[in-house]
Amino acid sequence: MTPDQLLDRIAGTLRRDVGPAVGAEFPRTQAFMAAVVLQKLGRQLACAEAHRAAAAADMDALIVDLNAALAAQATPPSIAMAVAALARRRNAAALCGLIGALYDARAALEPARFDAVLGRVRRVLRADIDRRLEFAE
Amino acid sequence: MTIERPLEARIVDYLATRLPEGRDFALHNVQRIAVGWSHETWLFDLAWRDGGETRQRGLCLRRDPGNTLLRHLSSLEEQFRVLQCLADTPLPTPKPYWFESDPAILDRPFLIMEKVPGTCPSPWGREGRAFYEAAAARGTLPAHFTATLATLHALDWRAAGLDFLGVPAPGTTFARREIAKWRQLIDVSGHAPEPILTDLIAWLEANAPTVDRVTLVHGAYRTGNLLIHDDRISAVLDWELQVLGDPMYDVAYVLSDLNREGTPLLSNLVDRDRFYRDYQAATGFTIDDDICRYYNALYAMRSVAFWMSASGLYADGQSQDIRLARTAWSVPVVLERAARELGY
Repeated sequence: MTPDQLLDRIAGTLRRDVGPAVGAEFPRTQAFMAAVVLQKLGRQLACAEAHRAAAAADMDALIVDLNAALAAQATPPSIAMAVAALARRRNAAALCGLIGALYDARAALEPARFDAVLGRVRRVLRADIDRRLEFAE
Repeated sequence: MTIERPLEARIVDYLATRLPEGRDFALHNVQRIAVGWSHETWLFDLAWRDGGETRQRGLCLRRDPGNTLLRHLSSLEEQFRVLQCLADTPLPTPKPYWFESDPAILDRPFLIMEKVPGTCPSPWGREGRAFYEAAAARGTLPAHFTATLATLHALDWRAAGLDFLGVPAPGTTFARREIAKWRQLIDVSGHAPEPILTDLIAWLEANAPTVDRVTLVHGAYRTGNLLIHDDRISAVLDWELQVLGDPMYDVAYVLSDLNREGTPLLSNLVDRDRFYRDYQAATGFTIDDDICRYYNALYAMRSVAFWMSASGLYADGQSQDIRLARTAWSVPVVLERAARELGY
């Protein structure tokens, strides 16, 4: 039995056997809520490896595209630094840093360029949130 | 070893100090109601003897559990003050009686207010949805829903003494102040960085609308926060998110998809076109759809702040309520909505 299957099975027990046997409203709700949490955790665990691989591939492609976009035209140093940090750290905090840098330097960028770079970042964010919804909803 | 006296007995002791002419105090019909995520709420009837007569008064007690969703942003004292200010206005609200911050009385701060007749069906449950569907068909309650919001927005907040809530300066101050408030809650929640949230906040800051009229804003005007009696709103409840600011902030909340489930009716109750027509006629304000869309995005940020705060309370051990743990998965759901609000 895989860990996600185990969690799913415990969730089923809580929902079917434990919850209905609890008389008081608050602890009964807690039992059902624990079942929901375990089920979501189980799904998250089941998806984790595939999601990690997809996120890494998205990040690789984003960094390639951003570097190409930066090379094409003069770019505010703060954005170049944020892209370099993203390439190094490859995590959510660095993405936040890049988004912040983009908005801060908005006036220095052509509107079309701002939209294009932010739009490219948003493609990654969209793909990421779609993956997270697979276990969150 | 000391044995803690039951809460009911301590409430009776307290009320006896507030009504010194009375004697033989007793609580009847004590009911702890399981609503909301913030304060603990009890309803009861207080009976006592006074000058040979038996008296009775319905009361509602709200106590701060010390770990509310809104953390430092939630203040029972402010709620009490707001209710005092609203008591002599045309807006239906519970009459506030007492507020106590001394933890020696009931362990934590609490307020006691009038128990207003009425029910407050949850719009998320099957029974609540059926209740509002039937009320929508009758038509009286939807009209009163809109009329009450118009009354709230027409209220002379200066005359009522509500300027202590903070009057926003002209321009974009109102929206910026709201963004700062919810950002503060996000910061204390200890949540991991979320790029969509960063995008959302930066977008909100870059597009903050100018506000040219300031009214009292409830901040969560919807069914579930309104007490209903005889097909009318007997009290507007949940004075936790009120501000002085743009009335469109409330209008956007009414229009939001957040507040209806399985029905096109706003707040599960009001026809959209009818709401536009009646609200605009009653207030003289034109509903600005673009500004409402902006506030809808701001509500997405607020929701993220709520759920980050809630799941953070569970994560750092301040709450044992597993409902709060579950909200960790509400964060991506709301972020997805935020992404759609931003057009991706």
